Amino acid sequence: MYEYARMKFYCDEDRCIDCHGCEVACSDANELPVGIHRRKVITLNEGIEGKEFSVSIACMHCTDAPCFQVCPVECFYIREDGIVLHDKDKCIGCGYCLYACPFGAPQFPRDGAFGIRGVMDKCTMCAGGPAPTFSIKERELYGQNRIAEGKVPMCAAICSTNALIVGDAAHVAAIKRARDAAKGKGAMTPYGWDQAYK
Amino acid sequence: MKKFLLICLNVFLYAGVVPLVEPNQAPSKGGLISPELIEAIPHWHKYGELFLYLQTHWVKLIFLIVLIAVPSVFLIHYLIIGPKIFSHKGRNFLIFPSWQRIIHWIAAAGWILLVPTGFIVIYGAFFGGGPFVRFARYLHVIGAVLFAIVVLPMTIMWLKDMLPRLWDIKWMMILGGYLVKRKQEIPAHKFNAGQKMWYWFAMFGGIIMIITGVMMYFQNFDLSKWHLGLFQIDLLRLAVIIHLTLALILVALFFTHLYMSLFAIKGSLDSMISGCKSEEELKYLHSIFYKEIIKKGEDKELSEKCPPLKED
Repeated sequence: MYEYARMKFYCDEDRCIDCHGCEVACSDANELPVGIHRRKVITLNEGIEGKEFSVSIACMHCTDAPCFQVCPVECFYIREDGIVLHDKDKCIGCGYCLYACPFGAPQFPRDGAFGIRGVMDKCTMCAGGPAPTFSIKERELYGQNRIAEGKVPMCAAICSTNALIVGDAAHVAAIKRARDAAKGKGAMTPYGWDQAYK
Repeated sequence: MKKFLLICLNVFLYAGVVPLVEPNQAPSKGGLISPELIEAIPHWHKYGELFLYLQTHWVKLIFLIVLIAVPSVFLIHYLIIGPKIFSHKGRNFLIFPSWQRIIHWIAAAGWILLVPTGFIVIYGAFFGGGPFVRFARYLHVIGAVLFAIVVLPMTIMWLKDMLPRLWDIKWMMILGGYLVKRKQEIPAHKFNAGQKMWYWFAMFGGIIMIITGVMMYFQNFDLSKWHLGLFQIDLLRLAVIIHLTLALILVALFFTHLYMSLFAIKGSLDSMISGCKSEEELKYLHSIFYKEIIKKGEDKELSEKCPPLKED
C-alpha cells in the first residue's frame, strides 16, 4: 500500500456543457501556436436523444502510456505522480506516439522549413517539462508549470460547471462517486484509468 | 501526555486519508473515461492496439535479426562458396545505356539515404534521439523524394525484361547456381529470376512505401468519407504497419542486391558504371540473352559501343 498520488483528469459527462472554455483557457495560458489544441471538447452521439453528451479530452496520462512504450527515442517519462511528460529536445517528431495514442493527444506543429513536422506537443497537465522549473525554456517549450506553483491545471481551474476535475485518482473517483450517489445513480464502479487499451 | 495524545490523534486523522486501494493499481474496469465515451468512438482500438503490440514486441527485434542475419548468411556464402570470377578480357557488350544508368544511380542514392536513416529512426534511442536522429528523419524524406522521382521511369524502362518467363522456374530450382563453385550456364535472359524478384518488390513495394510514407509525412489523409470503416487515425496506423512490414522485406532484398553486385560476382558493378558486361559473364550468367544476341547478330553492334579492356 503506497500513498503516491496518481494524477488523473476526469470530465464528468453529466456536467459538461460544451462551452469550450477549457480549450480556450489551455491554449491561452500555455501560449500554444495556432492549430495546436492540447485540449478538445467533443460531442458524441450528436442528435441522438438521451445519448448525446459532450466531454473534454486531452492527454489522459495513462498508467501504461502507449506513447511512452512506442517512442523510438524514448523521450517520454512518467513522473512519480503519474503525469506523462516528454522531452522536446529528444523528440524527433516521428509521430509514433500519435499512432499509439487512443485519444489523439499528441500533436505536431508544422514549424520547420518546407512545413516539415516539428516535435510533438501534448497536454502536460500544466506541469511543465524536463527543462528547469520556471525557466524561460520550460515556459516556451512546454507552457506553464502550474503544478509546481501549487495550482490546478488551467482547464480544470476555469471549468464553470466543475465538470473537469483533476487530482489524485482516488479523490477524483470519490468526487464522481458522491455526485452519482447524490443523483441516485446507484453505486458506481471504482474509477482509475489504468490501461490505455483493454 | 497531551502531546502524545495529539500525535495519536494526528495519526488517526491522516490514516483516514490514506486510500484503501492503491491508486496506481486502481481496478481497470470502468476507467476514468466512462465506457459510454469509448463505445461512442467506433473502431477506437482497431489498429492502435496492433501497432502498440508490434512496436513494443517485434519491430526492433526483427529489424535487428535482419540486420545481423542477412549479412552473416552472405559472409558464410562468401567464405564457403566464394565469389564468381569471370574474365573481363575480350569482348564487352553494352547492356545498360547511359540514361538507364543515370536513373538507376538516382534511385540508388535515394536508397543509400533511406535504408541507414530508417534504421537510425527505428533505433533512435540507441543514438540518443535529438538533433542527430531528427536530421536522419529529414534525410529519409530527401531519399524518398530522390527515389520517388525515378521510380516510375525505372518501372517502365525495365518492365518488358522483368516479366516472368518459364526459365525463371529453372533458375529458382538451382538458385541461380550460387550454391555451387563451378561455372555453368544459368538460364536467364537480360535479368535473372532473382533480379526480377528484386525489381517487383523494389518498384511496387517502393511505390507502396512512398504512398504510406507520404501519408505519415502529411498526416492529413482522410478516407472516412468512403465508408471503409477506416478512420483518419486508423489509416495512419495502417500506413505505419505496412511501411514497417514492407521495409523489412525491402531491406533484406537491398542487402542481397548489394552483396550480389559488390561481392558475389566480381566486377559486376562495372556493368552499372560503364554499362558494359564481359562476354564470359554474359555467356554463363545470362545464357539465354547471350544466345539471342549471337543469333540475331546484335553482338557486333553491342560490342562496338564498349571498348575492350586492355589486356595485361
